[in-house]
Amino acid sequence: MAPPPPASHKARKRKRHVRSYSMQLPSKPFPLASLLHPLRTSSMRRLAIPTVLITAFIFRWAVTYGPHSGENTPPMYGDFEAQRHWMELTIHLPISEWYWYDLQWWGLDYPPLTAYHSWLCGKIGSLVNPSWFSLLTSRGHESYNHKVFMRATVAVSDYLIYIPSVVIFTKWHSRASGTDKYDRIIALAILLSSPGLIIIDYGHFQYNSVMLGLCILAFANFLADRLLWGSLLFVMGLGFKQMGLYYAPAVFAYLAGLCVSFGGSGSNTRGDGGNGNGIDIGGLLKVDIQTLTLLGITVISTFGIMVAPFAIFHGPDKTALEQLGQMVHRVFPFARGLWEDKVANFWCATNIVFKYRERLSTPTLQKVSLFLTILAILPPCLLLFLRPKKRLLPWGVAGCAWGFFLFSFQVHEKSVLLPMVAMTLVVAGGLDRDLLSWVGWANNVAMFSMWPLLKREGLGLQYTVLTGLWRYRVAYCGAYDYGGIVERFPDIWVVGNAVLCFGAFGCMYIWVLYRMAEEAGLLDEYSVGGGGEDEKERLKKVE
Amino acid sequence: MLQVKNLNYASVETVYFQRLSVIVTELVLVLSLRRFVNVQTNPQTKKGANIIALSLLLSPAFLIIDHIHFQYNGMMFGILIFSLTDALTDNLLRSGILFAILLCFKHIYLYIAPAYFAYLLRRYCLGKNLLDVRLFNCIKLGVSIVSIFSVAFGYFVAIGQIPQLLSRLFPFSRGLCHAYWAPNAWALYAFADRILIHVAPRLNLNIDSASLGSATRGLVGDTSFAVLPNIPPRVTFVLTLAVQLVCLVKVFLQPTPTRFIGAVTLCGFASFMFGWHVHEKAVLLPLVPFSLLALQDRRYLGAFRPLAIAGHISLFPLVFKAAEFPIKSAYTILWIMVFFMTFDTVVPVAKSQRIFLLDRFEIVYMTVGVPLILYTELFHFAIFGSRLEFLPLMFTSAYCALGILGSFLGFFVLYLTG
Repeated sequence: MAPPPPASHKARKRKRHVRSYSMQLPSKPFPLASLLHPLRTSSMRRLAIPTVLITAFIFRWAVTYGPHSGENTPPMYGDFEAQRHWMELTIHLPISEWYWYDLQWWGLDYPPLTAYHSWLCGKIGSLVNPSWFSLLTSRGHESYNHKVFMRATVAVSDYLIYIPSVVIFTKWHSRASGTDKYDRIIALAILLSSPGLIIIDYGHFQYNSVMLGLCILAFANFLADRLLWGSLLFVMGLGFKQMGLYYAPAVFAYLAGLCVSFGGSGSNTRGDGGNGNGIDIGGLLKVDIQTLTLLGITVISTFGIMVAPFAIFHGPDKTALEQLGQMVHRVFPFARGLWEDKVANFWCATNIVFKYRERLSTPTLQKVSLFLTILAILPPCLLLFLRPKKRLLPWGVAGCAWGFFLFSFQVHEKSVLLPMVAMTLVVAGGLDRDLLSWVGWANNVAMFSMWPLLKREGLGLQYTVLTGLWRYRVAYCGAYDYGGIVERFPDIWVVGNAVLCFGAFGCMYIWVLYRMAEEAGLLDEYSVGGGGEDEKERLKKVE
Repeated sequence: MLQVKNLNYASVETVYFQRLSVIVTELVLVLSLRRFVNVQTNPQTKKGANIIALSLLLSPAFLIIDHIHFQYNGMMFGILIFSLTDALTDNLLRSGILFAILLCFKHIYLYIAPAYFAYLLRRYCLGKNLLDVRLFNCIKLGVSIVSIFSVAFGYFVAIGQIPQLLSRLFPFSRGLCHAYWAPNAWALYAFADRILIHVAPRLNLNIDSASLGSATRGLVGDTSFAVLPNIPPRVTFVLTLAVQLVCLVKVFLQPTPTRFIGAVTLCGFASFMFGWHVHEKAVLLPLVPFSLLALQDRRYLGAFRPLAIAGHISLFPLVFKAAEFPIKSAYTILWIMVFFMTFDTVVPVAKSQRIFLLDRFEIVYMTVGVPLILYTELFHFAIFGSRLEFLPLMFTSAYCALGILGSFLGFFVLYLTG
């Protein structure tokens, strides 16, 4: 549990990328670091975290002045109405009706934790003004105070779950990789100013931060060796929004890797024990049955508790099994198409050349996409399984999420948040220039890929300001510019956006894999010649 | 968009355009602060000036008044700071000209004109002793000011609309207090009156029942008091001028640039504290020049802090919508936190003993502030709904008035003894 002695890490740090910026200031590495520079002194340090958190809040709240999805667009409105409607139906109907009630009007299609969260928000909101959530009559309700209330629920959820999680995660991740306190503050500021989540949650209107917060807290617990708490939280994350499944294979591989050890490297698979040996699968296999069982029990019982109310209060005309079946059916709508709108993934991008939906039937497509997805997530998961190091966890999660986003079935453009947030998490482990420019670029491209959606909702101003600030503060070096693209051909432009972003996302997937392999020590053999030189040169450049 | 009859017209484009115009014109403030920093020669004061400049530029006051409420104070105070910086570097003619231009933008700056008059007269128009009149300087200054005013008002003189113009600029028909009492001496007076209404029957005082609802009525109009005597405009004038006269005599006798800025601050203070129908936005008038002096030494900072807190909180009722509460409070708290700590690290120790017990006062004052804001912005609504709407406003204004009064007295003493 205790953090490993810093001395050994310093030795390792010099061998790899230079991860700290604190030594170089004030020679202006990038604007955000310079901005936080005054907070480095001991007298000002206690201000650092409050300053970052309040500033993050100001930007977040400023975005809420913009329109939400589906504002003033009857008859169906948008995601905002969906969330409001869930609050309405959960507070008025018995639990047995939740997944069945009027499915045509934004029927509940998220896992149970979202339903409970909606119930809570709805109850509180009804105290303020019952007409916001009255059954049936409140459909499509829009008023100034109601909007403020809904925005406030996002902000409160965010500040109760996501933001503490990020703070804790940066603490543990930087402890695991031995970065200093000042770099930790910079990393925190970078994580909190990542524009994608802000604009989707506070602009478009969703509660992604709750799911992401639970997942990130789970990762933090994994890094702190509290595996059971971690798996409990991760399952809660999945129970809030099924999108968390993008991370699940990586998490599973990591946990499985911790429970299984191979002969040769002994019991020291945790931490940074691997001395760069080659992978030896032929050796003796040891399985830590106790941990494995406990993990299994935790996961199953957490799921059980979350869905239990639906099984217990199944209502007079349905059985418990029917209730659970309906929940699964609602949460995983396999009947939908290959993708929605124009998503920057493999399917949408290559659709220009090969019209999948015309040539292949939906079941075939499902199989092909399943196969490709597994192929894509296999490398990061395998690496995590074989080398379950703490430093690798965020990388593996990011790689896995990219794999899902690029190849899986029925992806929404907002899903890019998952790989993007996971990829941004790695900054907590150290701030080398290579990493910063990739992370900066990833956020830029991800925002850009959501531009058609945001533009349609009237969030152009918020998009411009947030992305501009992000570019200025973090992605200053390395990002390339899309300024030249003209908006004359709307559809071509949107498809072009998708193709371009797909290319960029593909690059990111590969880069994540590369960095992962590097961190895992797989490239050490190759880097003796050319790589070593490269490293030294980078060191020189930085110093 | 610009058709005169199109009142209350607000398309998204118009809002963007007008907001953008505020942001662009605020560049004047940025430039003026840059110049203010650049003219400092001593490295220590330069560091302080840098921090002051940042604190002014990022001030919640400008965010609330200019960017949310909508005005162009950023630009105006930019011009004022240009002018004050010129005074600091003894560029007196330009300073006077800039101030004259500023007056043509907004006549509220007439309140601080006496300080300019006294300083320019003593420093620019008169020589070492009082009888030595520098005629050429007088002519230069006079001609430039007259020509500025004639450019601004000439056309209206030509078409004979000056009476109408003056009646628009100086509306004396309004009451002593603005609907929301600006936090000055009269707010405390009105607050005392409101309390006396409930106490009066026990003390056998007469209550003027006609005016019971007057001060809290919520419309711009005449204010009359129920128990305490009414205040005629004359009284406010006499009080304002009396305070101003004291500091003018001082600046006339010791015409140094720092003292001049102090005099400007005090003129602003006096008119804010005792003026007729003062608006809460006028708190910028003492706040901005005082900021420039705040880092002189610890005593000044001690007097400045209550003003900085109260001045910003007193602006809260200006933006009253539910969605604006999180921004204004978060931003103000952040500003106070960051800058107060930064001020503390750079301010030099005082050369002489401090006279006031302002630090204790200040700590108590700040502690009271937090629950007060929570009450006025959140709990009041939860407890009373939309009834008794004036109550939180009254508390805010009395609370802020107390802070500004303390700050005013502290600075007045420092100015007279320093």
